[in-house]
Amino acid sequence: MNELAANASAFYAVIRRDFQVFLSYRTRLVSQALTTVFSLTLFYYVSRLVHVEGFTTPDRYFGFVVVGIALVGVLYSCFSVSETIRQELVAGTFERLLLSPFGGVRGAVATAIFPLAYAFLMSSITLTIGALVFGLELHWPTVPLALPALLLSLLAFLPFGLFFTALTIATKQANVGSSWIIALLSIVGGLYFPIALLPAWAQLAAKVQPFTPATELLRHFLVDAPMETSVGLALVKVVGFAEILVPLSLYALHRAIRLGQRRGTIIEY
Amino acid sequence: MSGVLTRSDLEISAAAPRREEPMPLALRGASKAWDKGRVPVLDRVDLDLGAGAKVRIAGRNGVGKTTLMRIAAGLIDPDRGRVEVFGFSPIERPERYQRLVSFLPAGDRGLYARLTVRRQLDFCARIAMVPRREVAARVEEAISIFDLGELADRRVDRMSMGQRQRLRIAMTFLPWPEVVLLDEPLTSLDGEGAALLYGAIERLLGEGGAMLWCSPAGEHTDFEFDRTLMLDQGKLVPA
Repeated sequence: MNELAANASAFYAVIRRDFQVFLSYRTRLVSQALTTVFSLTLFYYVSRLVHVEGFTTPDRYFGFVVVGIALVGVLYSCFSVSETIRQELVAGTFERLLLSPFGGVRGAVATAIFPLAYAFLMSSITLTIGALVFGLELHWPTVPLALPALLLSLLAFLPFGLFFTALTIATKQANVGSSWIIALLSIVGGLYFPIALLPAWAQLAAKVQPFTPATELLRHFLVDAPMETSVGLALVKVVGFAEILVPLSLYALHRAIRLGQRRGTIIEY
Repeated sequence: MSGVLTRSDLEISAAAPRREEPMPLALRGASKAWDKGRVPVLDRVDLDLGAGAKVRIAGRNGVGKTTLMRIAAGLIDPDRGRVEVFGFSPIERPERYQRLVSFLPAGDRGLYARLTVRRQLDFCARIAMVPRREVAARVEEAISIFDLGELADRRVDRMSMGQRQRLRIAMTFLPWPEVVLLDEPLTSLDGEGAALLYGAIERLLGEGGAMLWCSPAGEHTDFEFDRTLMLDQGKLVPA
């Protein structure tokens, strides 16, 4: 029990560290809220141009894309772990985690928690602004179901960030491919437009990652968007991806750290 | 079961029948070469630190002192040989190993610039898995021992290099390690800071801990060591 409490205390320390560092940059929240407002404004007016099958009104497309924008933030936050760990390698603070009983793997996982929580907050702000300023119609009876769906989705998304963190520890470069992968996932995950518009081979890619079912679920719960499959099947897919990818990503992270320790490159940055 | 091994736990474990009493720190045939085919920076190094030992390793710049310390800390692996603390290997039992050892790396890295001294110490205590109910007391103890009271609520990026070094040393001793590894600990310290460091080392040794110190050849220190060894061409030899 004491061991569990000590672990919880160490996780809390990392989360609080990130929160305090975040607070020390006072304009960050305002700056990101403004970015959200401008993105929503842009897509609100783009939605006025949309008159296609599948979206009966421009507002339906706006609802579709607002959820996509909210999820892109979550996607970025997953990948931001690798950049944070890169900064920690440079500052020598990752070494401190490695040389603690808490260790590098748990340290990296804990480092992911604050950005994810912050992305959740920003997603909520995005939806709130969308509703209050641009008249986004949320489907209130199912909105509470979006929370557990998002938490499950985070479990399925996080391994991508951890894989990139492992790559960062091995190569000392944080952005090895993360930008184009986020862009690619935005496309095949159907964040900005329906995947039905994609060519058949690209639609196949949409089916072999967790973003598509997660996005579909969240859209269904938040704005009552119709689903390609059933809620149950989408949930099974998200849980299945999480179950496979979480242990694999933790193993990759462990191997990257051990490789760096064996070769001595863990001290490089 | 507390997360932290106490010295009495170690005595009990040492009393169990074993072929060899586990040393606080033991390096056995540790070798490391940074480039294959070149002369190894450490060549089958053996080193034993018993309870209460205070050993200094000196040597020219670039001779491999920091590599030796990093291996002893469990940060990097030797190419050959073993390192153990009380019989635990950092590869096989990393969590147990890191509960027993604390390493002060050379330089001024390893601090969060935007955190205050108190927050930094609290972070350090928690990742060292100090039992939660003891965290606050340990932080206050470290602040008191290293005379950081006036700086406790100051951010690290607003502190002098000497003050930062004092904080780094406080973080090294805060988890109550059994073995401390100090790589050039006097960097940027004034006489008062050095005296606080010596006091902390003596307290650790008085409780049966061990200390390994490394610094460049020719560095003056008022601290008295049991042994001073020179690292030269990959070998440890008496100074």
